[in-house]
Amino acid sequence: MRPKHQPNDPSPPRDLRYGCGGSEHTVHRRLFLEGSFAAGAASLASFSGLFSIPAVAEETKRAGKKCILLWLCGAPSQFEMWDPKPGTETGGPFAAINTNLPGVQVSSLMPKCATIMDKLAVVRSMSTKPSEHFQGIDALTRGDAPRPPFVRPILGSVVAEQLGQLDSPVPQFILLDPCPEGNEFKAFKAGNWAGWLGAQYGPVRAGGDYGIANLEKSAAISDLDHSDREALRSFFTKKFANDQRSEAADNYNAAYQRVKGLMSCAPLFDLNKLPVADRERYGGGAFAQHALQARHLIENGSTFVMVANGMPWDNHVFQHEMHQMLVPELDNVLFQLVSDLEDRGLLEETLVIAMGEFGRTPWLNEARGRDHYPKAWSMAMAGGGVKGGVVHGATDSQGYEVVDGKADNRNLFATIFAALGIDPHQEYELPGLPTFHRVEEDAAPIKEVLL
Amino acid sequence: MFDWLVLKALFRPVLLRWECFRCCSSVRHLLCLIALLAGGSVLTHAPAVAAEPVAARSDLTATIDRAIRSAWQQQKIEPADRCSDPVFVRRVYLDLLGRVPTMEERDTFLANASADRRSKLVDQLLTSPEQAEHFADLFDAILLGRGNQGVYDQREKHGWKKYLVNAIAENRPWNDVAAEVLLARPEAPQQDGAVWFLYEKKDKYQEIAEAVAPAFFGIRIECAQCHDHMMVDEITQADYWGLVAFFNRGKNKMTPNGPRVVESAIGGFSEFADLTGSSSPNRLQFMGKGPLDEARPKAGDKQQDKDELYIKAAVKNDPRVPKFSRREQFVKQVLVEHPLLARAMVNRLWAIMMGRGLVHPYDEIDSMHPPSHPELLDALTQDFRESGFQMRRLVRALANSEAYQLQAIRPESVNDPQWFAWYLQRPLTAEQMARSLQVVLRGEASLNRTLLASLRTQVPDVLPDNVQVDVTEALFMTNGAQLEAMIQNSRQPQSLHQRTLRQSNHPSRAKWLVDAVLGRSADQAEIDAITAYLAERDDRLEQAIDQVIWSLVSSGEFRFNH
Repeated sequence: MRPKHQPNDPSPPRDLRYGCGGSEHTVHRRLFLEGSFAAGAASLASFSGLFSIPAVAEETKRAGKKCILLWLCGAPSQFEMWDPKPGTETGGPFAAINTNLPGVQVSSLMPKCATIMDKLAVVRSMSTKPSEHFQGIDALTRGDAPRPPFVRPILGSVVAEQLGQLDSPVPQFILLDPCPEGNEFKAFKAGNWAGWLGAQYGPVRAGGDYGIANLEKSAAISDLDHSDREALRSFFTKKFANDQRSEAADNYNAAYQRVKGLMSCAPLFDLNKLPVADRERYGGGAFAQHALQARHLIENGSTFVMVANGMPWDNHVFQHEMHQMLVPELDNVLFQLVSDLEDRGLLEETLVIAMGEFGRTPWLNEARGRDHYPKAWSMAMAGGGVKGGVVHGATDSQGYEVVDGKADNRNLFATIFAALGIDPHQEYELPGLPTFHRVEEDAAPIKEVLL
Repeated sequence: MFDWLVLKALFRPVLLRWECFRCCSSVRHLLCLIALLAGGSVLTHAPAVAAEPVAARSDLTATIDRAIRSAWQQQKIEPADRCSDPVFVRRVYLDLLGRVPTMEERDTFLANASADRRSKLVDQLLTSPEQAEHFADLFDAILLGRGNQGVYDQREKHGWKKYLVNAIAENRPWNDVAAEVLLARPEAPQQDGAVWFLYEKKDKYQEIAEAVAPAFFGIRIECAQCHDHMMVDEITQADYWGLVAFFNRGKNKMTPNGPRVVESAIGGFSEFADLTGSSSPNRLQFMGKGPLDEARPKAGDKQQDKDELYIKAAVKNDPRVPKFSRREQFVKQVLVEHPLLARAMVNRLWAIMMGRGLVHPYDEIDSMHPPSHPELLDALTQDFRESGFQMRRLVRALANSEAYQLQAIRPESVNDPQWFAWYLQRPLTAEQMARSLQVVLRGEASLNRTLLASLRTQVPDVLPDNVQVDVTEALFMTNGAQLEAMIQNSRQPQSLHQRTLRQSNHPSRAKWLVDAVLGRSADQAEIDAITAYLAERDDRLEQAIDQVIWSLVSSGEFRFNH
C-alpha cells in the first residue's frame, strides 16, 4: 500500500518517522474476523495474530546509534585531503589552508570542511596491510582479512544486527550505489556481504541501476486486494509450517513479511521526492544526491547507509586533475551532511565516516598518478560517539611513514564499534562457528577520538 | 620454457598469507580436530566389507529398507508414518519428473486400488521423457554449476544439455558417460555435447580440477591447493596438482565439428610449493592412482613439439591426438576403475531422492565425513558397479523404499536427519517451480522459458545445505510481471482459472482451488478463508480468483516438496 504521506506533502504525517503508513490491518480484521471465517478460527491457535501487522511503534525502537559510511572506493589521496604536505617533494600542487582548529591545516581543495574541523575527528595515522583493492576493500569494510570458508560480515550488517530496529519496515542496512561497475568493487559487491550473520542482515541495494526490483505492485490489483491476498498466502503457509513443523516454511514467511514494509517505503527511495533546495545544496552528481538520500533514510528509521559510487578514486593517471574534481565534491557533501545532522539534532546519534580502502603514494608515477599506499593514510569521522576537533596521529614530513599514533583496520573498527556503543571485542556466538571476535586480538580503539 | 604454473606455484606461499586460507578452519574440521584430540578414533577410508551379492531389482529396495530399519532400531527411533497416496503422488512426480502431477494424472493414480500402485507409478515415471529432462536439469546444475542465461544458452547450443538428456533417457552406464566427458574426444556426433564440460572452463586448469573432483569422485580438493589437506589424510597437495596436470595440456579450439579441447604432447611440467616453501614436481597422480610414468624434462631443457608425437584424429577435422595423452591416461588409469566413481554417484542419487546423502555433504566423501550407514553405502556401491553403473535401477529402488515413502513430518522425538526417519522437506528448484506452475495454471506440462529464466536468477540452489529465502524472491513472486502474466494469461477453457469459475459457489471454488494447486482436499479453515475473500469481491470475481491462485502458488506448501 502506498503511504498516505508524500515527503513533499506540506503537512507531515503522524508517523513519518517510520516512513510507512499503515491502515491495512484494520482491513484484515474486517475481512477475516467477520463472517464465516471466524468459525474456522479455532483450528489455528495463532489465528488472530496472523493478521495483525507488527506495530511500527516507538517502543520497538532500540536506543542505538546510526551510521552513514561515505565509501570512497578506489582510495583517495591523503595529501590532497586531510594530510597536506605543502612545499615538499611529495606535496603536489595544492596549497594547505588553515581550519577553524588552531594549528591544523587541510588541503585547499577542502575549504568547507576547514570550517567544521571542530566537529570532525581526523585520523592521519592509518597504516594497513593490503595494497590491492579487493583485499583492501575486504579489510576496510569487514574489519579484517578473510578466513575462508567463513565470511566476516560487513560493517553495515554488524551494525544493522546490533542496533537495527527489528520491526521497522525501513531496511536497516542500505547500500546506495548508482554504479554497477567499479572493477574490484564490482566483484566485491557480487560477494556475500552479511557473512555469517545471515542474509537477513545483508544490504538492500538501491540507487541507479540498483533500484530495488519488483517494489511496485501491478496497477491491475488494488491496494486492498494486494494486501489481503498476502494475508491469505501467509495463512496457508503458517498452517503448513505448523502442520509440518517446518522451519523452512517459517523462514519463507519471514521473507514475505519484509515485502510489505519495503513496498510501503518505496517513496523513501525516490530522489525526486526530496526538496529541491536540499538537492541543490548537496550538488549534482549521484554521490552527492545519494548522500542526501542517506540522511533522509537515517531520519526515517534506517540504521546504516553506505554511500558509494563505483570506484572513482583510483587515480593512477592524472591524480591531481582527478582529485581537483573529486575532493571538492566530497568536501561539500561532508560539510552539508554533518551540518544537516547537527541542525536536526541527529549528529550526536549518527556517526559519519568518510574513507577508502587505503591511501596513495607520496611519489607520482609516470602517468602523474599516485599509486596504492596502505602504509600511511588518513580518514575522517564525525558525530556518533566520536569527539569533534581531534586530529589523531601524524606522518613524517613527506608522508612516507606514520610517526605517531599508528592505527590499523582493527584499531579503526574497534573505534567505530565503541563509538556506536557496540562491544568491539565480543565473541560471535553462532552455532557451528569457530571463535571469532567482532574485532580480533583485542585491538584497542583509538581512545583519543572517542567521547 | 616459461610456464605460468611454475610461477604461480612459487608464489603460492606468498599469496596464501593474504587470500588463501581456503581451508584449515571449516567448522566440521575444527570439530573433528577436537574429537581427535579428545581421543576419538581416526576414521579411515574403509574398503567395502562383504557386501551382499548383486541384488535383484526388488531386493535392492529390501537392502535399503533393512539397513535403514536396523539403524532405527539401534538408535531407538520411531519413524514417521507412511505418507498418504495424495502426498506420495505429488512427491514422486516432483522428484522424478520435476513437476507436480496434473489433476488427471493424480486422479488416475488415486483411483488405482492395486497393492503395487506406487511401484507401478515409479516404473511408469522412470521411462517418461520428462524424467530425463528433469534429471538432466539437476545434473547440469550439479556437474557444471549455475550461470546466467548466456551460460545456459551455450550449454544448449553446444549439445551439452541434449547429451545429458540422452544419457539419462537411455540409462547409459555412468562410467561410460564419465569417460566420454573427461576424454572429450567425441567419436560420433551424438557425443559432441560431452566436450562442453571441459570447454566451458576455458582452459582454467585449476577450475577444471576443482570441478572434476566433486563431479566424478564426490570429493572437494580445494583445501589441498596450498598444502596437504590438514584433516583428510588421503587428499594431498600432490593429488591436487596431479589432477591439474592431467588436464593442463588442453586448449580450447572451435573447429568445424564444434568445440574441441586440443591436447598438446609436451609441456605442463611445473613444481608446486608447500607451506614451508619446499617444492615438488606435479606428477600424474590422483587419489591413490599413479604417479604414472612420464619422462620429465630436466630443469632448463626446452621440449620440442614434433609431428611424430601425435597421431591423426579418427574423425575428420578433429585435432590431432598426442601419442601419450594425459587425458586419456586419466580416463583409463584413474577414472574408470576408481572406487569413488561409483560411490560418488550412489551418494548423489541418494541425496537427490532422500534430501541428503548417506555421506553429508554429498560431495565430501572423505575420511572426515563418514557415511551414516556405511554397510549400506558399500552394498549400494557394489550393486551399482556390478549392475553396470545404471542410475535408473538405484533411483527406482530408492523411490520404492520405505524411508522415501514416509511422511515429511519430523517425529518429535527425532532430530537428526541422518537417520531418514522422515521424508526430508526440500525447496523446489527453479526448473521444478517453472514446470509445476505451468501444470497447475495451464494444465499442461510444458516449460515457460521466460519464467524459468527469471526463476533461475531468484532460486539458484540445487540440493542446498540449508534453505534461505531472500526478500528479493518474495518481491519477485509478489510483484514480478512474469508470474502475474502467467496467472492472468491462463484463461483458456482448460485453465485453472476457468475451471474454478465454472464451479457453482464460493465454497466449491475454494475446495477446487486447494485441490488443484496443493493436491489435497481443503480443510474447513481454508475453505472459509477463501470463501470470505471471494465473497467480498463478487463485483470482481475473475480478479479475485487470480488472487487466490496467487496466494496458493506462492505459499510455502507449494514452494517445497514434502
